[in-house]
Amino acid sequence: MAKAYEAVKVKTPLLLKVLPLASIAAFFLVWQLVIDLGVVPRTMMESPLGVIKLFWVKLHQPNPDGAIWTVHAWTSIKEAFSGYLLSLAVGIPLGLLMGWFNLAEGLARPIFEMLRPIPSIAWIPLTIYWFGIDLSGKVFIITMAGFIPCVINSYYGVKMTNPTLIQMARTYGASDWNIFLNICIPSALPMVFGALQIALATCWTTLVAAELIAADTGLGFLITIGRKLTLPGLVVLGMVSVGLTGAVIGVAIDRLEKKLLAGIRR
Amino acid sequence: MPEHQEKKVKIRVEHLTKIFDDLTVLDGICFNVYDGELLCIVGPTGCGKTTFLNTLSKLLPATRGNILIDGAEADPKKHNISFVFQESTCMPWRTVRRNVAYGMEVKNFPPEKLAARLDYILELVGLDDCADLYPNQVSASMEQRIAVARAFAVNPDLLMMDEPYGQLDVKLRYYLEDELIRLWQTLRSTVLFVTHNIEEAVYLGSRILVLSNKPTTIKKEVIVDLPRPRNVMDPKFVALRQEVTDLIQWW
Ligand SMILES: Nc1ncnc2c1ncn2[C@@H]1O[C@H](COP(=O)(O)OP(=O)(O)O)[C@@H](O)[C@H]1O
Ligand SMILES: [Mg+2]
Repeated sequence: MAKAYEAVKVKTPLLLKVLPLASIAAFFLVWQLVIDLGVVPRTMMESPLGVIKLFWVKLHQPNPDGAIWTVHAWTSIKEAFSGYLLSLAVGIPLGLLMGWFNLAEGLARPIFEMLRPIPSIAWIPLTIYWFGIDLSGKVFIITMAGFIPCVINSYYGVKMTNPTLIQMARTYGASDWNIFLNICIPSALPMVFGALQIALATCWTTLVAAELIAADTGLGFLITIGRKLTLPGLVVLGMVSVGLTGAVIGVAIDRLEKKLLAGIRR
Repeated sequence: MPEHQEKKVKIRVEHLTKIFDDLTVLDGICFNVYDGELLCIVGPTGCGKTTFLNTLSKLLPATRGNILIDGAEADPKKHNISFVFQESTCMPWRTVRRNVAYGMEVKNFPPEKLAARLDYILELVGLDDCADLYPNQVSASMEQRIAVARAFAVNPDLLMMDEPYGQLDVKLRYYLEDELIRLWQTLRSTVLFVTHNIEEAVYLGSRILVLSNKPTTIKKEVIVDLPRPRNVMDPKFVALRQEVTDLIQWW
């Protein structure tokens, strides 16, 4: 297998290895020069070096937003993960059950279809009434956001089970529950792992949106404060932090998925 | 003692009829399956063989008719039925060993009995070498052998096989047919083997039921009184094969 793959693998030309690096370098260089030469005033945009410097300062300086960078990042991660885990815990079992048991599908599907088109951030105003702007409110919104892809993927994962396998189990007299556990859930696993990634992306995006509107710490809040105080450096730092942190978590989940699914995909 | 003379009735099928909307596929089929026999059912593609087995195994509800196993209405939850499908039914997330074990798990075999029987069957079918591999690491013929092993493992009252070797090349088919006979002789299960391949039916069966075209009825019962191992070049074999072929030429 590996050998055959090597044989057909298309070699990346050297040019395609060099050009991306050059393009990135050029991007940051132009960005830096545009600010340094005053083409764009510092009140509207910060330079890359300025952002890095600010990051360094924010690691120990809580002003002007009230907390150091690590506190903001930690708040966001904590909120995102609480909501994420809760959405998995609710959404995956619900989707799996809806995919197999008519009772679950009949009862839960209409309600789910009703909630599904409501963007999770539309819940923010109600959430503020119910929970205030602390952890629980954000966890609620993030759960609403992550829960939807979890249900959809798990549901279709079960629906895509090979019908002959179900027939095989039936001829042995297997109960619905036995078929659900032994055939439907393992069949659905690749789709469920897909949901882990999709839900994570959704949760992270929603978190930042929620923090932009209602928060007193967090990476999204950093962006809002930057805007209010006309500190574009803080805005950019918030944006970059959100992007990088999200990417790091995404890669971690991907690794975990590959490890756990190794036994199934092979 | 010739195989067909063991006349204890194991399964009795009475007036089995299956109608899809307005298409009558099975029309009042009546027959018996005797304990421990290897009964072949042969009919042309599309005549309703799969429908027939699916109705027998209760995967499909019958429009009319009864299926009695040891005198009681057949029920996969009560009776010990197993089924080998035409396509692979290996669970890709289970090893060969755990695939073979699945039927026994469903039937709630006690753990020690299950483990012992599993080892015995794996060895009998020659799957012990690849017991810890996953289905996609073995060949297509191996996947069918896993299904056959799983089906025999539960010690079924009735084992139904729906053209299990239809998609394999001739050499492998011969090999697996011999293996099937060996398993059947060793484990003494009652086997219902469905095929469109006349030679396969004459080679395997103690008895052959020849089906007519839709609406399907049993056209004729042919008793195969040839000693085993059978030789496809034997004039008696050739004559029987010809007889069945003539019966099937319904068009
Ligand atoms: N679920 C179904 N609904 C309607 N017609 C069906 C269904 N299943 C099978 N048939 C029809 O019944 C006939 C017999 O099919 P099948 O049992 O698969 O034949 P065989 O296994 O002998 O090739 C075919 O004409 C097929 O179109
Ligand atoms: Mg068929």
